[in-house]
Amino acid sequence: MLNLVFSGFLETLFMTLVSVAFAYIIGLPIGLALVVTAPEGIKPARGVNAVLGVIVNILRSVPFLILLVAVVPLTRLIMGTAVGSAATVVPLVIAAFPFVARIIEASAKEVDRGVIEASLSMGATTMQIVTRVILPECLPSLINGAAIVTMTILGYSAMSGIVGGGGLGAIAINYGYYRNNSQIMLIMIAILVIMVLFFQGLGTYFSRVSDKRIN
Amino acid sequence: MQFRETIISIKNLTKTFGTGHAAVTALSDVSLDIEKGEIFGVIGLSGAGKSTLVRCINLLEKPTYGSVIVNGQDLTTLSDAKLRLARRDIGMIFQGFNLLMQKTAQDNVAFPLTLCGIGKKESRKKALELLSLVGLKDKAKSWPAQLSGGQMQRVAIARALATDPSVLLCDEATSALDPATTDSILELLRDINRRLGVTIVVITHDMRVIEQICSRVAIISDSKVAEVGYSADVFRKPKTDAARSLVLPPGERLTGLKSGGELIRLAFDGSTSDRPVIAEMVLKFGQPVNIVYADTRVIEGRIYGHTIIRLPDDRDISIKMQSWLTEQEVSFTKED
Repeated sequence: MLNLVFSGFLETLFMTLVSVAFAYIIGLPIGLALVVTAPEGIKPARGVNAVLGVIVNILRSVPFLILLVAVVPLTRLIMGTAVGSAATVVPLVIAAFPFVARIIEASAKEVDRGVIEASLSMGATTMQIVTRVILPECLPSLINGAAIVTMTILGYSAMSGIVGGGGLGAIAINYGYYRNNSQIMLIMIAILVIMVLFFQGLGTYFSRVSDKRIN
Repeated sequence: MQFRETIISIKNLTKTFGTGHAAVTALSDVSLDIEKGEIFGVIGLSGAGKSTLVRCINLLEKPTYGSVIVNGQDLTTLSDAKLRLARRDIGMIFQGFNLLMQKTAQDNVAFPLTLCGIGKKESRKKALELLSLVGLKDKAKSWPAQLSGGQMQRVAIARALATDPSVLLCDEATSALDPATTDSILELLRDINRRLGVTIVVITHDMRVIEQICSRVAIISDSKVAEVGYSADVFRKPKTDAARSLVLPPGERLTGLKSGGELIRLAFDGSTSDRPVIAEMVLKFGQPVNIVYADTRVIEGRIYGHTIIRLPDDRDISIKMQSWLTEQEVSFTKED
């Protein structure tokens, strides 16, 4: 029993963190591109901005549970199977990267337009402005955003238990729901709640210590 | 008159925002020459286009028409890469300071240097020298949030000077500061101008800023240059309505005064104000005048200012007083 819970916890942690990592690898450049190519951005590009915006909006509007089953063929293609924790990473990343892009976009837009202008007046390139002005200046907000993304993916990963994903969600559904074991159900819920609180606390803490505006 | 070299030449500059019916003209056919080593002021009321003008000098705003020549280079014809290089020679400071809030004062000043690819150690060393130039060496490790407005603007000035520019643009740089801090920042700008020979372009809506540090001034009104001249001349004898409304802000305009004798405005240009002109006149004609408004200040050791007096009701004496003033070479204008 304890073994089961522990391996479920590890699986959930693995699914969540790996998905967060991939979601950022794809979502971070898209989010930054959305800001840079916006009409009021540093390199306005209507076409690029519109295409990225549409992709993000479409993926954001598909409910996760639908997306989960809809991408099964793709998951099979990439992972060889659609069952288990590793396979669940595929739909999780597809669901999360547009969310990451929007979160990044929101954070990057917080950066004072004047600071970007000052950097332009110093002769900074677009790349330098993104990597050396926008990202460092909105770091506290990025950290907060990462915590929100992690919590969301954690929730999605639990949901994936219903269609053969692994982890705490699968245990809660298979043991707690189908076998009507309310004790297991409560334990799973408790662990998920603790994990959410942990990520939230972590995000808030690091966001605060990294922010030099409040001292 | 010593030989002066033009460092910034703005030719037929026009800037329109938007297109079609929604188009707004911010600048219309503006031409200006700014000389090397001077402190040049651009003044105008809000929305007159002065901010757009200064932002066109380093092409933060792309002119719709016309050219901007800085150090012999027409910036409007440069490629992006060449423009970035040219911008290193044009420092800029802003009303909102625009410091990087997540970097220390020292790293803010070092920032433009690291953008050019200069190593961190060398950049920081130069940043420290610049911070001591602006009197903030002890704040090198402070975060911008820990500094006062005046201190933040000093850091911004140090940062703008990091790449040894030949031009420093100041876009309403003192507008967010209190009067005492404004004075100290202006003093610093003057000091930098004298010590480093940097040409400074000051954009402001505050005539006091012009009086304190600018040798020449352009008055921008309705997207056009209304008047250009030496600050003292413009201050003493504003030729256009735009200039008059800036020299004497609307709040200080004398309206609704009960009728009586004629109101005249005396302008002191620094040559007569050590003489008690009004007192001499009163003694000579044995008739009192009423001083209804007075505003004088010391600019570079000489007294400049305006005094509005009401002449006696007696038309005869009033006319005699006016001709006496003309004899004494005191310039004055009649107030409506």
